[in-house]
Amino acid sequence: MSVSNGSVSKAGDWRSYQRVLLPPVKDLHKLEVYEQHGGYASLRKALTDPAWTPQAVTEEVKKSGLKGRGGAGFPTGLKWTFMPPVNPDVPRFLCCNGDESEPGTFKDRQLMEYNPHLVFEGMILASYAMSVKTSYLYVRGEYADWISHMERELEKLYAKGYVGKNIMGTGFSTDLVIHKGAGAYICGEESSLMESLEGKRAYPRSKPPFPAQRGIWGYPTTINNVETLACVPLILEKGGDWYAKIGAEKHPGPVLYGISGHVNRPGVYEYPTGMLISDLIYEVCGGIRGGKKLKALVPGGSSTPVLRADMIDGVTMDADGLRAAGSMMGTAGMLVLDEDTDMVSFLRRITHFYHHESCGQCTPCREGTGWLENIVTRIDEGEGNLRDLDLLLDLCSQMEGRTVCALADAAAWPVRYTVERFRSEFEARCRPSLVSVPETAALPA
Amino acid sequence: MADFIKHPVVELPERDPEPSVPADRLFFSEEEKARIATYVSRYPTADGAIMRALWLAQEKFGWLPPEVIRLTADTVGIPYSQAYGVATFYSQYYKRKMGTHVLDVCTCFSCQVCGGYDMLHHLEKKLGIRKGETTPDGRFTIQEVECLGACGSAPMMQVTNGPYVMNLTEEKLDTLVDALQEGRMPPFASVTLPQDQDEMGGNRRSDAPSQEIYQAPPVSQTIR
Repeated sequence: MSVSNGSVSKAGDWRSYQRVLLPPVKDLHKLEVYEQHGGYASLRKALTDPAWTPQAVTEEVKKSGLKGRGGAGFPTGLKWTFMPPVNPDVPRFLCCNGDESEPGTFKDRQLMEYNPHLVFEGMILASYAMSVKTSYLYVRGEYADWISHMERELEKLYAKGYVGKNIMGTGFSTDLVIHKGAGAYICGEESSLMESLEGKRAYPRSKPPFPAQRGIWGYPTTINNVETLACVPLILEKGGDWYAKIGAEKHPGPVLYGISGHVNRPGVYEYPTGMLISDLIYEVCGGIRGGKKLKALVPGGSSTPVLRADMIDGVTMDADGLRAAGSMMGTAGMLVLDEDTDMVSFLRRITHFYHHESCGQCTPCREGTGWLENIVTRIDEGEGNLRDLDLLLDLCSQMEGRTVCALADAAAWPVRYTVERFRSEFEARCRPSLVSVPETAALPA
Repeated sequence: MADFIKHPVVELPERDPEPSVPADRLFFSEEEKARIATYVSRYPTADGAIMRALWLAQEKFGWLPPEVIRLTADTVGIPYSQAYGVATFYSQYYKRKMGTHVLDVCTCFSCQVCGGYDMLHHLEKKLGIRKGETTPDGRFTIQEVECLGACGSAPMMQVTNGPYVMNLTEEKLDTLVDALQEGRMPPFASVTLPQDQDEMGGNRRSDAPSQEIYQAPPVSQTIR
């Protein structure tokens, strides 16, 4: 039932893929089980083997080609090298971003529940690579149950001496703190995450200075996503070359695809990057619910541009593949929409989300998101005029790139691309603009 | 056109509201103070601990009236204005008295197209209130919330900033409301990964109180 037209998946032989981020091991979330299956061996190797200096760890991560899994896809190893040289008088911090608020994204929570120690080990290794003495794991407040779950495991880790003072009897010490958020989408943006950690309203900061220069409390800070850091112990265990060979060449590694919407079998799946979208929908997820046809697909969370069904033929889930198709990889949180979906109402709810979540710092975003919602609501209620569609697109241009952080862009893109790619559906909902024509014609030349 | 502006930009709070927590109950116990001190010790400055301290205050007092925010700010050792700013910025801190059980129904994105609004409207009908309102007996508040990060198990909801209830159906909602009436919170549910289902024959956790699997979501009747 595949519609891939013989196009090539970059994920190789994905049907026999062996999971590494969430390997099939019973009770892997428990420290003792995790250790039995080779857990914390990478950390031990890095801390005790003199060949594994912090620089060597960073180099290995660079070699692996690991790119951030939080949405922007920035090379992780390169990000680590932005930290200034170690100065014993200046504290440095690592933040692990587990805010995961992008609608359609629910992958990090599976790591927190099923393999939290992989995340902890990745954080400690990253701390070692950047000589960080305190790292914070920022988790959204809604994940209260998963926070207490992780804190239980973290306590065991402290008791065992794998984090804290003189880890595993070596000279390296680092602390790990879980920070509980309280419900704000904007905290997923790295600079507002730092503000939130400092106990302030989460208003994003202007960049530069970048976090590596002036981060939390003004000190050098690196921020990585949960899934990104979970890859680090695997890279050290099996080597950067091994990692670089998984999936798409320029965007390698295993990815947690969070697939939701109108599919028979939604959920989080671990596969290499570069999977064909059609394979994911029709083979992995068992096709569209009720045998319906695909109408649209949002590939990586609500802010990534929506793709029409005719645009996904042969498109693979990696940065290059999706850019060529006119969208982005984002967080790989994919929403599948069937032929019965009302795109106008769908867009209306997205604009409501961004209006609600705009932090209110920058005027183009605070006011713009509100107007996007008002105008799309008007169209959805059947009271819109055709010119409203151009007004929407104009408003998007007024927002994109004109604010401190990317929330305005994230709010504008779904509007721009949904209107452009489903314009006839929007036009059909608008009132016909026959009334104003004679008036215009009567104006003197 | 003005009637399209449905939400005022800023809702100004009352200037000097009557304190809702009586003065003789407005304190933290020694144990709670010790917990706040632990939170403070985890950050270079006391500021970082305010979010956890506000969580603790909300669990104790139920919501965050100004006097509770002031007490928390004083205990942590930061200015009241800063704590007030934090408490009013984040949506999970309650700025008004809520029902005993807050039913946060997700209707965002995946949940919208998978029946989230059907669940919301069913709850509204069942409890006789609209979203944002509290039942007259003070037991339930219904809220429409933004994405809670369980999109594969849509439609879903969260109960009082605690457990998630996934793969909602009308029957499941009825059972849930009945259980909450009797004071029984839903158990933590671990959602089985589809690949675990195939490779391990079920959920990988032996200690999860209850388990769910991902299901094909229902067809939405209403989407707004």
